[in-house]
Amino acid sequence: MAASQKRLTKELQECTESPPQGMTISLASEADLHKWNIVLAGPPGTPYAGGVYNITASLPPDYPFKAPQINFVTRIYHPNITNDSLGNICLGLLKPENWKPASRVRAVLEAVRQLLVEPNPDDPLEARIADEYRNNRVEFDKNVKSYVTRYAKGSSK
Amino acid sequence: MGASGGTALAGELLTGVAYLLAEVYASSSWWTRRASSQNRPSLSPYIPGLTSPPAARVTPLPNRSDAFTPARKRTGGGRARGPPVNTSSHGITTAMATNRSDSGSSAQPNLRVTIIAADGLYKRDVFRLPDPFAVATINGEQTKTTQVCKRTLNPYWNESFDYRATEDGILAVQVFDQKKFKKKDQGFLGVINVRIGDVIELADGADDQMLTRDLKKSTDNLVVHGKLIINLSTNLSTPTRPQQPQSTNSSRPSLAPQASALSADRASERPTSSTSALNGTGPGTQTNLPIRTNGVNGAAPASGNASGQSRSAQMSPFEDAHGRLPAGWERREDHLGRTYYVDHNSRTTSWTRPTQAGAGDARGEREAATQVERQRHQNRTLPEDRTGANSPTLQHQQQQASTQQNAQNSTMMHTGATSPGTGELPPGWEQRWTPEGRPYFVDHNTRTTTWVDPRRQQYIRMYGGNNNANGTIQQQPVSQLGPLPSGWEMRLTNTARVYFVDHNTKTTTWDDPRLPSSLDQNVPQYKRDFRRKLIYFRSQPAMRILSGQCHIKVRRSHIFEDSFAEISRQSATDLKKRLMIKFEGEDGLDYGGLSREFFFLLSHEMFNPFYCLFEYSAHDNYTLQINPHSGINPEHLNYFKFIGRVVGLAIFHRRFLDAFFIGALYKMVLGKAVQLADMEGVDADFHRSLQWMLDNDISGGILEQTFSTEDERFGVMTVEDLIPNGRNIDVTNENKKEYVDLMVKWRIEKRIAEQFQAFKDGFQELIPHDLINVFDERELELLIGGIAEIDVDDWKKHTDYRGYTENDEVIQFFWQTIRSWDGEQKSRLLQFATGTSRIPVNGFKDLQGSDGPRRFTIEKAGDVGNLPKAHTCFNRLDLPAYKSLEALQQKLTIAVEETMGFGQE
Repeated sequence: MAASQKRLTKELQECTESPPQGMTISLASEADLHKWNIVLAGPPGTPYAGGVYNITASLPPDYPFKAPQINFVTRIYHPNITNDSLGNICLGLLKPENWKPASRVRAVLEAVRQLLVEPNPDDPLEARIADEYRNNRVEFDKNVKSYVTRYAKGSSK
Repeated sequence: MGASGGTALAGELLTGVAYLLAEVYASSSWWTRRASSQNRPSLSPYIPGLTSPPAARVTPLPNRSDAFTPARKRTGGGRARGPPVNTSSHGITTAMATNRSDSGSSAQPNLRVTIIAADGLYKRDVFRLPDPFAVATINGEQTKTTQVCKRTLNPYWNESFDYRATEDGILAVQVFDQKKFKKKDQGFLGVINVRIGDVIELADGADDQMLTRDLKKSTDNLVVHGKLIINLSTNLSTPTRPQQPQSTNSSRPSLAPQASALSADRASERPTSSTSALNGTGPGTQTNLPIRTNGVNGAAPASGNASGQSRSAQMSPFEDAHGRLPAGWERREDHLGRTYYVDHNSRTTSWTRPTQAGAGDARGEREAATQVERQRHQNRTLPEDRTGANSPTLQHQQQQASTQQNAQNSTMMHTGATSPGTGELPPGWEQRWTPEGRPYFVDHNTRTTTWVDPRRQQYIRMYGGNNNANGTIQQQPVSQLGPLPSGWEMRLTNTARVYFVDHNTKTTTWDDPRLPSSLDQNVPQYKRDFRRKLIYFRSQPAMRILSGQCHIKVRRSHIFEDSFAEISRQSATDLKKRLMIKFEGEDGLDYGGLSREFFFLLSHEMFNPFYCLFEYSAHDNYTLQINPHSGINPEHLNYFKFIGRVVGLAIFHRRFLDAFFIGALYKMVLGKAVQLADMEGVDADFHRSLQWMLDNDISGGILEQTFSTEDERFGVMTVEDLIPNGRNIDVTNENKKEYVDLMVKWRIEKRIAEQFQAFKDGFQELIPHDLINVFDERELELLIGGIAEIDVDDWKKHTDYRGYTENDEVIQFFWQTIRSWDGEQKSRLLQFATGTSRIPVNGFKDLQGSDGPRRFTIEKAGDVGNLPKAHTCFNRLDLPAYKSLEALQQKLTIAVEETMGFGQE
């Protein structure tokens, strides 16, 4: 078995057997270890609670020498996730200069969830939302919930 | 035999001058080319002039009639500083000799125009040669005239005039035949128009530009031929070349020495004659036409780019092949025959053909970018190129060391390189003086004359050799090698061959002790000296051009496939013959310009990632690497062999490719092992992770890696073992070093092993491996791509500082040092700091790092006792705060010159 395949199999096995909190993980296609589908439940106690988020993790052929790429398929109102159909995410751990080959997908996903609990308005992808988060939390929460209602209520997809 | 015009120019030996020499300096010294006997007629290289739209606004870019008229008009109007039409010829000469400066120049002059020479003028009369002189004006004013050269098609004036000019000013230089000046057409022999701002920056210190332009017709459509060579300089500090005492009969200094020193039976070896010059300028004439070709052939009524003109000439200026231009637009051609468009609505000009919707903008920008790249490409040089028949004297080198090479060359043109040598002349030599008092040198051994003091200019002559059946003497100028070692002396035999006396051992040798004596890799005595390596490399028998010609005819629009067919078809031996590129449907003989253009265009095509043969090394980076998936094209190995041949061909024929590769590829060409550091230029992220592996404890199977890797080919993952059964061998702390080495090799070499082998096979057909090995990988980059002119102002303007400010002393030392460096040193610093000597098309503001745009950055880091460090990924230089200019220069020089390899991190 190839280098990254061996590792990916092991990581996937760990993640499916004891998934990170609030997540279920599966392969997008049985034939491809490099594309994971994650379903994330909005963390309780946050405005995201009640939302169900589909996330993809793409693991490059060079994984673990290159960082995985995480995207929100479900739209989400968040300072660090682009408010568009791409759902790009800004996560320090994933930045090339910070990535370590010893980092694991599980840690990445846990960091993603933590970002919903605790947005990082100092390094925003959506500056307007970051401003709102800082200065008008009531309005922010309202918008988050409105997005949950509009986009994140489906069981999946 | 009146003609001989430029033969005596700026010091060449009048014997059969080296084929080799002519080749080396094809780019800069047209006179050496001219000197190379009659089957190599003298045409100047194609030098594209305009690189940007002709003018931001519609300047008074004169159409041909405008350009031609000022002098006449002024004369008629009584302001009359131009050649007075109605005076007698004698009167004209006298008037011209005074060279009065003229109206409009009350302010300080800021531009020095040196009218050096014309080459291959049109021979209007069957039995008589013209007496050419030149008239220069700026915007029709400040008229200056040169003296008259008698009976020549290749007049040499070398007269300088100071002008007050603006960048929008149009310099018009017209050439007339003095004998016919009273006639209706004034003996018009051609005109060039140059917009000052297009060729030189007036504001910017001592800029200096040598221009070679085709002479153009005037409105009366008289046939015109040949080229005009002028120099523009903003450096007015040196006095203008003193005017020679007026003498209407002998303003041609060359006639006397030639006539006296050459006997008739050597005439056939004369480097130029009027006829050969004529042959050369005629489009489509063969270079090997017999010397007796009559004037008609040579006088074919068009210059190099005339075919385009004649084609479009059938249409009105308001339409072209694509139909009518939008209202208010007009099609024009610049002095190089290139089409541009004038928008009379907005009073702007553009290279781009306007469309009704303006849809051509993007394409226009691309073309403009290509044009900038072309210009850059043409301006690239190698250190050896700046030597030449008129190689600078030592003083010149020192004095000019900080300026551009152009400036060096042109300074030489000003002075004619006649600075006296010291000591006794070699045996058999005699110094004489022209009637004007200019010294020249007669070599009674070979019955030749030269302007060059033999004590100044030294040649190695290599007689014979297998490739040398016609007995041509191959020469190699070595004047820039610096002084001989202590106790050595250079002498000349009675056949003017150089030999060396070692008084230490009381022995003599033909071999120059300053050149490498062997290829012994264990003696890296010339490790740092690219120039010497280059001289050595080019002097090797395997690198000599074979007799005969190699014709390659391609269509511009299909340059890749045509070149592939042509170059693959020919044998390697044929490809080593003199390269003659022809673009189908275009006139023009290849005296350098066409092959330069050929390699420029071809390199843009064959390395285009579109063809899947090469790819950019990393996102946003423009260095090239072999595409590991090129196999999508079943012919790919043939293409790689072809590309290898083209790279070899360019090196062999001393042309540059507009292509820059990852450092690792150069190493592979040299047969050097790639290292982890080379990975950085290929894939910085990958490099970082591998480095992390080495630097960190990976025990406990945290990486879960085996000695294998995956490769994705067109969506399918395959597993590749790095060692046999590698996929079952775990990577541990103990074997990780081996793993990293194997991984680097695989990523850089293995995946492209087949392709590279094919490339190398093609390359080595032209360039033997043991010769290319004298260079290191950085030098190889310069050899292939040439050394670009680097705009330090632009560089500085787009530099960021971390921990420093621009005003800090050490930063000022830094830029002061950079400015004092020559092109090679600047390029090497760029290689050191950014990993490549490539400069983005739009200058330093577009510099890319491995993670997107990254301006050049100087960071305050390191102890003053240490050398500067570079982070090529981030275009960053870590510069300790050195206390003095000397310390900075020393440390920076050592860092740049001594550091091998590309990855500096």
